[in-house]
Amino acid sequence: MLKEMQQVLRLIMLMGKQRQKLGLRTGGGLLLLLWTDTEVSTQKLNCTVNCTVAAAGPWCAGIQMEALQPALVRLKESMCPCVWPCNEPDPEELSAFTDLYGSLRFLLSFQVKDTRHCTSEWQAHLEAFLRTFTLANAGIQIHLKLKINQEASLREFSVKVKRRVALADQLLLTLDVTCSAPPPCCVKKGCWCVRGHPAIGGRLPLSIPPQTMEQGLFGDLSVQVVTLLTPCLLPYPNVATELTHIQVLVYNPSNIPVTGPSGFFQKLPAVLDCQELGLYRVYCSSFKDLVYSGGTVYTVEKDSWDDPEQESSLPTVQQSLLLFFFLQHSDPFTSQLTDLMATEMLIELHLEDILNNNRQALVAAVQTELRNTLKSQNHRKKQQEKLHAAAEVILGSSMSIVSSSSNMDFRNACLSRMKVCVCQVHDTHELAASLRESLWRVTSWKFVPKAKCFSTKMEVHPENDEPTTAEI
Amino acid sequence: SSTHISISSQEILNRIESIILEIVTSLSKAEAPVLALPNRSSWANISFDSAIGLQMSSRQSVTTIRADCPSSVTKFAQILKILSVIYRLVQSNSYATKRDIYYNNTKLFGSQKAVDSIVDDISCMLKVPRRSLHVLATSKGLISGDLCYMEEDGTRIDCHSSSTAVSVSSNISGIKNIVSSAKFVMIIEKDATFQRLLDDDFCTKISPCIIITGKGVPDVNSRLMVKRLWDELHIPIFALVDADPHGIIHLLEYLSCQTYFAMSFEAHSLTVPSVMWLGLLPSDLQRLRVPKDALIPLTKRDESKLCSLLERPYLTSQPEWQKEMKLMQQSKVKAEIQSLTAIAPDFLTQIYLPNKLRYGGWI
Repeated sequence: MLKEMQQVLRLIMLMGKQRQKLGLRTGGGLLLLLWTDTEVSTQKLNCTVNCTVAAAGPWCAGIQMEALQPALVRLKESMCPCVWPCNEPDPEELSAFTDLYGSLRFLLSFQVKDTRHCTSEWQAHLEAFLRTFTLANAGIQIHLKLKINQEASLREFSVKVKRRVALADQLLLTLDVTCSAPPPCCVKKGCWCVRGHPAIGGRLPLSIPPQTMEQGLFGDLSVQVVTLLTPCLLPYPNVATELTHIQVLVYNPSNIPVTGPSGFFQKLPAVLDCQELGLYRVYCSSFKDLVYSGGTVYTVEKDSWDDPEQESSLPTVQQSLLLFFFLQHSDPFTSQLTDLMATEMLIELHLEDILNNNRQALVAAVQTELRNTLKSQNHRKKQQEKLHAAAEVILGSSMSIVSSSSNMDFRNACLSRMKVCVCQVHDTHELAASLRESLWRVTSWKFVPKAKCFSTKMEVHPENDEPTTAEI
Repeated sequence: SSTHISISSQEILNRIESIILEIVTSLSKAEAPVLALPNRSSWANISFDSAIGLQMSSRQSVTTIRADCPSSVTKFAQILKILSVIYRLVQSNSYATKRDIYYNNTKLFGSQKAVDSIVDDISCMLKVPRRSLHVLATSKGLISGDLCYMEEDGTRIDCHSSSTAVSVSSNISGIKNIVSSAKFVMIIEKDATFQRLLDDDFCTKISPCIIITGKGVPDVNSRLMVKRLWDELHIPIFALVDADPHGIIHLLEYLSCQTYFAMSFEAHSLTVPSVMWLGLLPSDLQRLRVPKDALIPLTKRDESKLCSLLERPYLTSQPEWQKEMKLMQQSKVKAEIQSLTAIAPDFLTQIYLPNKLRYGGWI
């Protein structure tokens, strides 16, 4: 079912991409209805799932279903053994959707016989795919309505904070840059950046391996790297950061995430130069807390000889790096929608070969992005160490003066300012501890507001004011 | 060490304590501590008073040093460290040199220059003369002649020996029991000339006198020593410098009328208003017919330096000096004291100086 849905999505996305080139808006809604027929639901072994895909909104304005017939014919062929047509969807579901986004521009229903779809694991898989999709297509709000085995659920995939990113060839992406990591306790209300700031990395041309060319893939293939580091610590220049996880996500030219494990990316950490990066090791792992499925996850470990005592006392915020690989393809002889669909399926089929054929360049690209991220991390660490070393001198000198002073007014004033009880036996110890804590907090968590972190304009689109995930 | 602390010492302790209290107060409000340093290096902060010399204006621009900024936190720490050292020194009435402070914590300070600069900053910040901070400069000057005194620790110093000179003390204010029958003090710009006069037994031959050199740019202790001799002995002070812009600059140092910003704060206590320019005068070069090959043409830098010197506040009240400097400008030549050897090998000590002193050849 996932594959079939991907195919339909591919069609819609490629249409949208063609239209985007005309400078039209990319926002809108996508409705996915999945329901099982009640008469067969009791027998899980013979599960039949009906699926309706509907699209409305500015991103598909001007599309006419009749004009899509040739492409749909090919689509149906590629989605065999689906059954066409399936049962009609509930009109009420559709009308709720059209109320939000306007009249339907695309509507397709089909049926699939598959035992896997009736499990909650599959549902979770589907939701993760849609979340990953939304990550790079944040302008599209997805409504997923499931009625499997008489259990109904509704999920809405909408994005709180978006950011438009312009790639080469006037290609515009709308990324989900919402950062949901909770702020550390030292951070005041309203002083935490809830968005990531995507950075456009290098664009690498990819050479197509001969065996793939024989299968019919020609033209120019390239990959655009975009990175997103979260949470954002720009307003806190004195806090040390630690990169702990990296996730690599690959997207097709139609901007649909490539699912399935990638042997290439799984083996990539072994060829990274960890020494150059100042890391102990990077290895492939599965990190369950990460929200996005698909892609490959790496865990990062720093050098183990760092002083553990100092590590624990200095404030450090852990960060994750998302590495987007946006595949791009152009071929002057491929402009028909059906050809574009076929090309993309070829790219997906032979992706491992393509990646392996460009191993050196891709490894270098990952190394570069890591190096850039870690450069800033290392700089922060040095700054923090400088502050820490100086703080010890400041505290030592101040306490030396307080301890040796015979001026009781002065001593009492110092103690009372820091709310240390004068009658305590070890009042200077208390004072020293209190001053240390305050100085570290004040210097480490120094807040420097940045316009790009707290600006209210530009980041959020007007049609997307309500954030939400709702279940019925 | 003495347990009796003078009132002014207590005031210094109080001022340091108020800085610490400000830091504690900032931290109690979860604010980053900040130090305000008067900006010593701006001409805007300097004014000239004919009785005192150059001094800091009461209205000053300040530089703020923040404790939460990595680029300034080290300086913040250095300042606090030296404040704590000064506090202990003043409290225990003991002394340390700037060199001692540096060598006790080379990692924090990085260089001697950093220590020196911060000590001067603290002097401005607390509005207290540097020597009241009980931090001594390491002196490089030499002194010789008809002079005996006692150092603070009781050591008796006798400057009469003509074979070796005495190093200028690091603690001038601690000197007592000055005994001298010198008729004048002569400041000598260069060490080489000083040694020459020593070798020729100058201090006993002409009349009892004291010679002192700061070896080029005079350090604070050399200037303090000259001032101390002036205060105690009330004898004329002459200067023997090269007839070039740098010689004049060094001469002006002793008058604290110069680019030595750091000390302008302390001008009041360092000024010796009546240093007299004995030689080498530009007019001497003409008068004595110093051979042309001993003369050096002025460079463009020399010329621009001369121009800027003529505009200095002090010189407007010294028409004779201005006349000499204008003569140098017109003749476009300069000469070192050594050029007198071109006339005769011992012209300096046998003829030039004795004649100058006997017949009032100073301005």
